[in-house]
Amino acid sequence: MNAPSDRDLILQARRGEAEAFGELVTRYQTSVFNVCYRILHERGEAEDLAQEAFIRAYDRIHIFDIEREFGPWIRRVAANLCLNHLESQKVTTEIDDERDADSAQLPEAVQEVSERSEQIRSALASLPANYRIIVELRHYQEMSYDEIANELNIPLSDVKSHLFRARKLLAEKLHAPD
Amino acid sequence: MHLTDNQLNEYLDEATNERAQIESHLSSCDECAARLSTLQSLFVEIESLPEQALTRNLAAPFTLRPSLPVPQLPTFLTLTVILQAAIALIVLIIAAPFVIQLIPAIEMPSLPNIFSQLQSQWTSWLDILSTFQVPSIPEIPILEMSSLAFVLAGVSVLWILGNGLLLRNQMK
Repeated sequence: MNAPSDRDLILQARRGEAEAFGELVTRYQTSVFNVCYRILHERGEAEDLAQEAFIRAYDRIHIFDIEREFGPWIRRVAANLCLNHLESQKVTTEIDDERDADSAQLPEAVQEVSERSEQIRSALASLPANYRIIVELRHYQEMSYDEIANELNIPLSDVKSHLFRARKLLAEKLHAPD
Repeated sequence: MHLTDNQLNEYLDEATNERAQIESHLSSCDECAARLSTLQSLFVEIESLPEQALTRNLAAPFTLRPSLPVPQLPTFLTLTVILQAAIALIVLIIAAPFVIQLIPAIEMPSLPNIFSQLQSQWTSWLDILSTFQVPSIPEIPILEMSSLAFVLAGVSVLWILGNGLLLRNQMK
Protein backbone atom coordinates (compact mmCIF):
# COMPACT_ATOMS: atom_id res chain seq x y z
CA MET A 1 0.00 0.00 0.00
CA ASN A 2 1.32 3.45 -0.95
CA ALA A 3 2.15 5.90 1.81
CA PRO A 4 -0.44 8.67 2.07
CA SER A 5 0.47 11.94 0.37
CA ASP A 6 1.07 15.13 2.33
CA ARG A 7 -2.29 16.37 1.09
CA ASP A 8 -4.07 13.27 2.45
CA LEU A 9 -2.36 13.67 5.80
CA ILE A 10 -3.34 17.34 5.97
CA LEU A 11 -6.98 16.47 5.23
CA GLN A 12 -6.90 13.78 7.93
CA ALA A 13 -5.33 16.24 10.38
CA ARG A 14 -8.14 18.68 9.59
CA ARG A 15 -10.61 16.00 10.61
CA GLY A 16 -8.90 15.90 14.00
CA GLU A 17 -6.54 12.97 13.46
CA ALA A 18 -3.47 14.22 15.29
CA GLU A 19 -1.53 11.08 14.33
CA ALA A 20 -1.77 12.10 10.65
CA PHE A 21 -0.12 15.39 11.50
CA GLY A 22 2.46 13.42 13.50
CA GLU A 23 3.33 11.58 10.28
CA LEU A 24 3.85 14.93 8.52
CA VAL A 25 6.12 16.02 11.36
CA THR A 26 8.11 12.80 11.03
CA ARG A 27 8.59 13.50 7.32
CA TYR A 28 9.82 17.07 7.71
CA GLN A 29 11.25 17.37 11.20
CA THR A 30 14.90 16.91 10.17
CA SER A 31 14.80 19.53 7.40
CA VAL A 32 12.87 21.97 9.61
CA PHE A 33 15.29 21.43 12.48
CA ASN A 34 18.24 22.05 10.14
CA VAL A 35 16.72 25.34 9.00
CA CYS A 36 16.59 26.41 12.64
CA TYR A 37 20.02 25.03 13.42
CA ARG A 38 21.68 26.85 10.50
CA ILE A 39 20.11 30.11 11.60
CA LEU A 40 20.43 29.79 15.36
CA HIS A 41 23.54 27.63 15.65
CA GLU A 42 22.31 26.28 18.98
CA ARG A 43 20.88 22.78 19.05
CA GLY A 44 18.45 23.11 21.97
CA GLU A 45 16.95 26.35 20.71
CA ALA A 46 16.79 24.97 17.18
CA GLU A 47 14.83 21.94 18.35
CA ASP A 48 12.50 24.08 20.43
CA LEU A 49 11.77 26.44 17.54
CA ALA A 50 11.34 23.56 15.09
CA GLN A 51 8.77 22.12 17.51
CA GLU A 52 7.13 25.54 17.77
CA ALA A 53 6.93 25.74 13.97
CA PHE A 54 5.04 22.45 13.84
CA ILE A 55 2.70 23.48 16.64
CA ARG A 56 1.89 26.71 14.79
CA ALA A 57 1.36 24.76 11.59
CA TYR A 58 -1.03 22.42 13.42
CA ASP A 59 -2.96 25.40 14.78
CA ARG A 60 -3.25 26.83 11.25
CA ILE A 61 -3.91 23.55 9.46
CA HIS A 62 -7.52 24.54 8.77
CA ILE A 63 -6.48 27.68 6.89
CA PHE A 64 -3.47 26.14 5.12
CA ASP A 65 -3.85 26.29 1.32
CA ILE A 66 -4.02 22.62 0.37
CA GLU A 67 -2.64 23.40 -3.10
CA ARG A 68 0.68 24.56 -1.64
CA GLU A 69 3.50 22.20 -0.83
CA PHE A 70 3.76 21.56 2.88
CA GLY A 71 7.57 21.10 3.05
CA PRO A 72 8.67 24.50 1.70
CA TRP A 73 5.88 26.20 3.64
CA ILE A 74 6.82 24.72 7.02
CA ARG A 75 10.50 25.50 6.41
CA ARG A 76 9.58 29.11 5.71
CA VAL A 77 7.48 29.22 8.89
CA ALA A 78 10.51 27.91 10.79
CA ALA A 79 12.86 30.44 9.19
CA ASN A 80 10.56 33.32 10.10
CA LEU A 81 10.22 32.04 13.65
CA CYS A 82 14.01 31.96 13.97
CA LEU A 83 14.33 35.47 12.59
CA ASN A 84 11.75 36.76 15.08
CA HIS A 85 13.55 34.89 17.83
CA LEU A 86 16.91 36.42 16.91
CA GLU A 87 15.44 39.89 16.67
CA SER A 88 13.84 39.53 20.07
CA GLN A 89 17.04 38.20 21.61
CA LYS A 90 19.56 40.54 19.97
CA VAL A 91 22.44 38.58 21.42
CA THR A 92 25.36 36.94 19.78
CA THR A 93 24.77 33.26 19.39
CA GLU A 94 27.15 31.24 21.45
CA ILE A 95 28.90 28.24 20.08
CA ASP A 96 27.20 24.98 20.88
CA ASP A 97 29.92 23.11 22.73
CA GLU A 98 28.12 19.79 22.72
CA ARG A 99 27.56 19.50 19.02
CA ASP A 100 30.86 17.87 18.07
CA ALA A 101 31.79 16.28 21.32
CA ASP A 102 32.73 13.01 19.63
CA SER A 103 34.56 14.50 16.65
CA ALA A 104 37.94 13.53 18.08
CA GLN A 105 37.00 9.86 17.70
CA LEU A 106 36.10 10.15 13.99
CA PRO A 107 38.37 9.01 11.13
CA GLU A 108 40.66 11.72 9.76
CA ALA A 109 38.75 12.35 6.50
CA VAL A 110 35.40 12.48 8.29
CA GLN A 111 36.92 14.70 10.93
CA GLU A 112 38.12 17.14 8.26
CA VAL A 113 34.63 17.35 6.77
CA SER A 114 33.19 17.77 10.22
CA GLU A 115 35.62 20.57 11.03
CA ARG A 116 34.92 22.36 7.75
CA SER A 117 31.17 22.04 8.35
CA GLU A 118 31.70 23.53 11.76
CA GLN A 119 33.66 26.43 10.25
CA ILE A 120 30.79 27.10 7.83
CA ARG A 121 28.24 26.95 10.65
CA SER A 122 30.33 29.31 12.76
CA ALA A 123 30.73 31.68 9.82
CA LEU A 124 26.97 31.63 9.24
CA ALA A 125 26.32 32.19 12.93
CA SER A 126 28.61 35.23 12.93
CA LEU A 127 26.46 37.01 10.32
CA PRO A 128 23.87 39.57 11.37
CA ALA A 129 20.43 37.99 11.79
CA ASN A 130 18.92 39.65 8.71
CA TYR A 131 21.83 38.44 6.53
CA ARG A 132 21.57 34.92 7.95
CA ILE A 133 17.91 34.58 7.10
CA ILE A 134 18.49 35.70 3.52
CA VAL A 135 21.32 33.21 3.06
CA GLU A 136 19.01 30.50 4.44
CA LEU A 137 16.17 31.41 2.08
CA ARG A 138 18.38 31.78 -0.99
CA HIS A 139 20.86 28.92 -0.60
CA TYR A 140 18.90 26.29 1.34
CA GLN A 141 15.32 27.02 0.39
CA GLU A 142 16.22 28.13 -3.14
CA MET A 143 13.92 31.12 -3.19
CA SER A 144 14.30 33.85 -5.80
CA TYR A 145 15.11 37.47 -4.90
CA ASP A 146 11.45 38.43 -5.43
CA GLU A 147 10.18 35.58 -3.26
CA ILE A 148 12.58 36.54 -0.46
CA ALA A 149 11.50 40.18 -0.71
CA ASN A 150 7.85 39.13 -0.43
CA GLU A 151 8.51 36.68 2.36
CA LEU A 152 10.45 39.15 4.50
CA ASN A 153 8.48 42.17 3.34
CA ILE A 154 11.61 44.14 2.42
CA PRO A 155 12.62 45.92 -0.82
CA LEU A 156 14.30 43.88 -3.56
CA SER A 157 17.38 46.13 -3.33
CA ASP A 158 17.78 45.18 0.36
CA VAL A 159 17.57 41.48 -0.50
CA LYS A 160 20.39 41.85 -3.00
CA SER A 161 22.62 44.05 -0.88
CA HIS A 162 22.19 41.87 2.24
CA LEU A 163 22.82 38.68 0.30
CA PHE A 164 25.91 39.96 -1.49
CA ARG A 165 27.38 41.40 1.70
CA ALA A 166 26.63 38.18 3.55
CA ARG A 167 28.50 36.19 0.90
CA LYS A 168 31.44 38.55 1.09
CA LEU A 169 31.60 38.18 4.86
CA LEU A 170 31.34 34.41 4.59
CA ALA A 171 34.14 34.31 2.01
CA GLU A 172 36.37 36.43 4.25
CA LYS A 173 35.75 34.18 7.24
CA LEU A 174 36.06 30.88 5.40
CA HIS A 175 39.04 31.75 3.25
CA ALA A 176 40.96 33.78 5.78
CA PRO A 177 44.50 32.44 6.35
CA ASP A 178 44.78 30.51 9.66
CA MET B 1 36.47 47.12 -17.45
CA HIS B 2 35.80 44.22 -15.06
CA LEU B 3 32.47 42.80 -13.93
CA THR B 4 31.14 44.05 -10.60
CA ASP B 5 30.49 41.76 -7.59
CA ASN B 6 26.77 42.40 -8.03
CA GLN B 7 26.91 41.23 -11.64
CA LEU B 8 28.72 38.03 -10.65
CA ASN B 9 26.27 37.33 -7.82
CA GLU B 10 23.25 37.94 -10.03
CA TYR B 11 24.78 35.76 -12.75
CA LEU B 12 25.21 32.81 -10.39
CA ASP B 13 21.74 33.37 -8.91
CA GLU B 14 20.30 33.37 -12.43
CA ALA B 15 18.74 36.74 -11.78
CA THR B 16 20.21 38.88 -14.53
CA ASN B 17 19.14 40.03 -17.97
CA GLU B 18 22.79 40.57 -19.01
CA ARG B 19 23.65 36.91 -19.18
CA ALA B 20 25.05 36.98 -22.73
CA GLN B 21 27.23 40.04 -22.10
CA ILE B 22 28.57 38.61 -18.84
CA GLU B 23 29.44 35.29 -20.47
CA SER B 24 31.14 37.11 -23.32
CA HIS B 25 33.25 39.07 -20.85
CA LEU B 26 34.10 35.99 -18.78
CA SER B 27 35.39 34.15 -21.83
CA SER B 28 37.97 36.88 -22.43
CA CYS B 29 38.82 37.98 -18.86
CA ASP B 30 40.78 35.55 -16.67
CA GLU B 31 40.54 37.78 -13.62
CA CYS B 32 36.72 37.92 -13.67
CA ALA B 33 36.55 34.19 -14.49
CA ALA B 34 38.69 33.50 -11.41
CA ARG B 35 36.47 35.69 -9.23
CA LEU B 36 33.41 33.86 -10.51
CA SER B 37 35.05 30.53 -9.75
CA THR B 38 35.84 31.62 -6.19
CA LEU B 39 32.24 32.75 -5.67
CA GLN B 40 30.97 29.50 -7.13
CA SER B 41 33.15 27.53 -4.69
CA LEU B 42 31.64 29.50 -1.84
CA PHE B 43 28.15 28.58 -3.02
CA VAL B 44 29.15 24.91 -3.15
CA GLU B 45 30.64 25.11 0.34
CA ILE B 46 27.57 26.78 1.83
CA GLU B 47 25.19 24.35 0.19
CA SER B 48 27.22 21.25 1.05
CA LEU B 49 26.61 21.73 4.75
CA PRO B 50 25.45 18.31 5.97
CA GLU B 51 22.16 17.98 7.79
CA GLN B 52 22.30 17.31 11.51
CA ALA B 53 20.21 14.68 13.23
CA LEU B 54 17.64 15.53 15.86
CA THR B 55 18.12 14.40 19.42
CA ARG B 56 14.38 14.09 20.05
CA ASN B 57 11.31 13.16 18.08
CA LEU B 58 9.29 16.30 17.32
CA ALA B 59 6.33 14.16 16.22
CA ALA B 60 5.91 12.75 19.73
CA PRO B 61 3.43 15.39 20.95
CA PHE B 62 1.19 14.47 18.02
CA THR B 63 1.60 10.69 17.92
CA LEU B 64 2.00 9.78 21.57
CA ARG B 65 -1.31 11.10 22.75
CA PRO B 66 -2.21 9.37 26.03
CA SER B 67 -5.21 7.13 25.58
CA LEU B 68 -8.08 7.73 27.95
CA PRO B 69 -8.00 5.37 30.93
CA VAL B 70 -10.75 2.77 30.86
CA PRO B 71 -12.91 3.23 33.99
CA GLN B 72 -12.60 0.19 36.22
CA LEU B 73 -14.38 -0.77 39.42
CA PRO B 74 -12.23 -1.10 42.54
CA THR B 75 -11.08 -4.67 43.17
CA PHE B 76 -13.05 -5.04 46.39
CA LEU B 77 -16.25 -3.97 44.62
CA THR B 78 -15.67 -6.41 41.77
CA LEU B 79 -15.14 -9.24 44.28
CA THR B 80 -18.28 -8.25 46.17
CA VAL B 81 -20.35 -8.32 42.97
CA ILE B 82 -19.02 -11.77 42.07
CA LEU B 83 -19.72 -13.05 45.58
CA GLN B 84 -23.25 -11.65 45.53
CA ALA B 85 -23.94 -13.26 42.18
CA ALA B 86 -22.62 -16.61 43.43
CA ILE B 87 -24.77 -16.47 46.61
CA ALA B 88 -27.85 -15.49 44.57
CA LEU B 89 -27.28 -18.44 42.25
CA ILE B 90 -26.91 -20.89 45.18
CA VAL B 91 -30.06 -19.52 46.84
CA LEU B 92 -31.97 -19.88 43.58
CA ILE B 93 -30.85 -23.47 43.18
CA ILE B 94 -31.83 -24.31 46.78
CA ALA B 95 -35.16 -22.45 46.59
CA ALA B 96 -36.21 -23.73 43.17
CA PRO B 97 -37.87 -27.04 44.38
CA PHE B 98 -39.83 -25.20 47.09
CA VAL B 99 -41.00 -22.53 44.67
CA ILE B 100 -42.15 -25.18 42.18
CA GLN B 101 -44.18 -26.83 44.98
CA LEU B 102 -45.79 -23.52 45.99
CA ILE B 103 -46.78 -22.37 42.47
CA PRO B 104 -49.90 -24.54 42.14
CA ALA B 105 -51.10 -23.29 45.56
CA ILE B 106 -51.10 -19.67 44.46
CA GLU B 107 -54.34 -18.51 42.99
CA MET B 108 -53.61 -16.62 39.86
CA PRO B 109 -56.30 -14.12 38.78
CA SER B 110 -57.72 -14.73 35.34
CA LEU B 111 -56.82 -12.38 32.45
CA PRO B 112 -60.33 -10.81 32.08
CA ASN B 113 -60.28 -10.01 35.81
CA ILE B 114 -56.96 -8.19 35.46
CA PHE B 115 -58.33 -6.12 32.56
CA SER B 116 -61.49 -5.18 34.42
CA GLN B 117 -59.43 -4.11 37.45
CA LEU B 118 -57.17 -1.98 35.27
CA GLN B 119 -60.19 -0.41 33.56
CA SER B 120 -61.78 0.56 36.87
CA GLN B 121 -58.46 2.03 38.06
CA TRP B 122 -58.16 4.05 34.86
CA THR B 123 -61.73 5.39 35.18
CA SER B 124 -61.16 6.47 38.77
CA TRP B 125 -57.96 8.30 37.68
CA LEU B 126 -59.87 10.13 34.97
CA ASP B 127 -62.48 11.19 37.53
CA ILE B 128 -59.79 12.56 39.84
CA LEU B 129 -58.10 14.44 36.99
CA SER B 130 -61.38 15.99 35.80
CA THR B 131 -62.04 17.44 39.24
CA PHE B 132 -58.42 18.58 39.80
CA GLN B 133 -57.77 22.32 39.77
CA VAL B 134 -54.38 23.94 39.53
CA PRO B 135 -53.92 26.39 42.39
CA SER B 136 -53.65 29.94 41.08
CA ILE B 137 -50.23 31.55 41.40
CA PRO B 138 -50.46 34.75 43.41
CA GLU B 139 -49.69 37.84 41.37
CA ILE B 140 -47.00 40.24 42.51
CA PRO B 141 -48.60 43.63 42.45
CA ILE B 142 -45.29 45.54 42.67
CA LEU B 143 -43.84 43.97 39.52
CA GLU B 144 -47.23 43.65 37.82
CA MET B 145 -46.17 40.35 36.32
CA SER B 146 -48.67 37.82 35.08
CA SER B 147 -48.43 34.32 36.47
CA LEU B 148 -47.18 33.07 33.09
CA ALA B 149 -44.40 35.65 32.97
CA PHE B 150 -43.52 34.76 36.55
CA VAL B 151 -43.23 31.07 35.70
CA LEU B 152 -41.12 31.86 32.60
CA ALA B 153 -38.79 34.06 34.61
CA GLY B 154 -38.41 31.31 37.22
CA VAL B 155 -37.64 28.69 34.58
CA SER B 156 -35.09 31.02 32.93
CA VAL B 157 -33.33 31.58 36.25
CA LEU B 158 -33.24 27.85 36.89
CA TRP B 159 -31.93 27.23 33.35
CA ILE B 160 -29.15 29.80 33.77
CA LEU B 161 -28.24 28.38 37.17
CA GLY B 162 -28.20 24.87 35.74
CA ASN B 163 -25.92 25.88 32.87
CA GLY B 164 -23.68 27.73 35.27
CA LEU B 165 -23.30 24.61 37.38
CA LEU B 166 -22.60 22.49 34.30
CA LEU B 167 -19.98 24.88 32.91
CA ARG B 168 -18.40 25.58 36.29
CA ASN B 169 -15.59 23.10 35.76
CA GLN B 170 -14.80 24.32 32.24
CA MET B 171 -14.52 27.93 33.34
CA LYS B 172 -11.90 27.12 35.96
